[in-house]
Amino acid sequence: MKPRWKGKGSEAKASADPMSKIVSQLHSSLIRSVARGLLLSRNVLIEADAELSYLFNRTRFGRSRITSQEEKQWFQLDMEEAFYLCFSLECLKGIGKDGSIKSNKELWEYSKSEKPAFPISYKAYSHLRHKNWVVRSGLQYGVDFIAYRHLPALIHSEYAVLALSKGDNELNGRLRVWSDVHCTVRLCGSVAKTLLVLFVDSNSQGTSSPSCLEHYTVEEETITRWNPEQSREDQTSLRNQTNLGTI
Amino acid sequence: MPRWKGKGSQAKANADPMSKIVSQLQSSLIQSETRGLLSSCSVLVEVDAELADLLNRSCFGRPRITAQEDKQWFQLDLEEAFYLCFSLKCLKVIGEDGYIKSNEELWDYLKSKKPVFPVSYKVYSHLRHKNWVVRSGLQYGVDFVAYRHHPALVHSEYAVLVLSEGDNDLNGRLRVWSDVHCTVRLCGSVAKTLLTVIVNGNNQGANSPSCLEHYTVEEQTITRWNPERSREDQTGPKNGTKK
Repeated sequence: MKPRWKGKGSEAKASADPMSKIVSQLHSSLIRSVARGLLLSRNVLIEADAELSYLFNRTRFGRSRITSQEEKQWFQLDMEEAFYLCFSLECLKGIGKDGSIKSNKELWEYSKSEKPAFPISYKAYSHLRHKNWVVRSGLQYGVDFIAYRHLPALIHSEYAVLALSKGDNELNGRLRVWSDVHCTVRLCGSVAKTLLVLFVDSNSQGTSSPSCLEHYTVEEETITRWNPEQSREDQTSLRNQTNLGTI
Repeated sequence: MPRWKGKGSQAKANADPMSKIVSQLQSSLIQSETRGLLSSCSVLVEVDAELADLLNRSCFGRPRITAQEDKQWFQLDLEEAFYLCFSLKCLKVIGEDGYIKSNEELWDYLKSKKPVFPVSYKVYSHLRHKNWVVRSGLQYGVDFVAYRHHPALVHSEYAVLVLSEGDNDLNGRLRVWSDVHCTVRLCGSVAKTLLTVIVNGNNQGANSPSCLEHYTVEEQTITRWNPERSREDQTGPKNGTKK
């Protein structure tokens, strides 16, 4: 699918300001401010000043939360987003309810206890973020994540992502039966997104520590409708001896 | 609320209830001693013009185009065929060996083709017994779609998912929230309400079709809750009366 940029000039804007650069700015800002996130159930809350708020918005990490405080802004991060900032980008630390800083291993264990499929889900999330895609929750579209090539303001989302575990089927709640495949492909089609399935193989590494992730592999597969009408060879090509096949 | 297609559809449906059409189909099949042929996951029946008309009007099977001009062939899904054989007792099915299959043999065969058949069939027959038209829902990402009458007269109201109480290996859907959102959203976009029908086997097992009679069925619709539309009327308490 070709990227669907919103309006003229969006593609140029995005090229001039690559996501990798903006994420790098967020990284620096978080380190400088010695940022700390508060663990609360399935989220991490961070207090952010104007600069950090701006960068969170531009990189699409977290959602801003309305509070009674006027000068400070609070952002709520999903577990995958928080872990990415803590473990992959190493620019944030999480604080537990007891007030102590959580190590990455502790944060990993905590995330797994809240969400058993976290290792799979996180591998998929980080796989896409490493490629500089914007990755957001896909729940309202009935999938795990939505992946954008750049800021949602500039481009329509391209992929609706499901993270599945290769082999270890207990963890997989989706695409076990044909009706789910049809349901998901049809819904994705109706919101102009391509269904992207990320098959994560833990390669028998287990999940005891985040360092296991490094040995996981990810296989990307898109699932789309095959339309016989659109996939026919051009009838006249047989006469012309050239293949003009239309897709 | 049923969405009738065009004026006069509701009147037509009331004048010609589905229960009556199905009854006519049943008589006609019995009279003609119709036999279906088992073919992998379907049952094929050869029918004359009268039966073809009744199958179309009661929405059983789909007509298949063949080279034969005088005879019409219909292809029945597993649940449809078993309903005609076992519940309505008006059809017999011949296996690949040329012999008529007893209901027990047919049951075992269907279970071998589709492990979830007992639960799926319970839901199909539960709805058909209530005179709903039940068709495959695969293109809508569900198991069945249910119509109040013939699809030519009315839009289908319910998108049905078959679920099994307790025995979770049989359940492939709605195990995680993303699937619930996906299904509810898709159903909404095609103007259908998601109806989950949960079958409880009550430890009866699935050895024979007679087990079905002891299964119980629970119907649940899943819809979006819209806070805006669910607020109490703001002016109510001031007047002291409930609007």
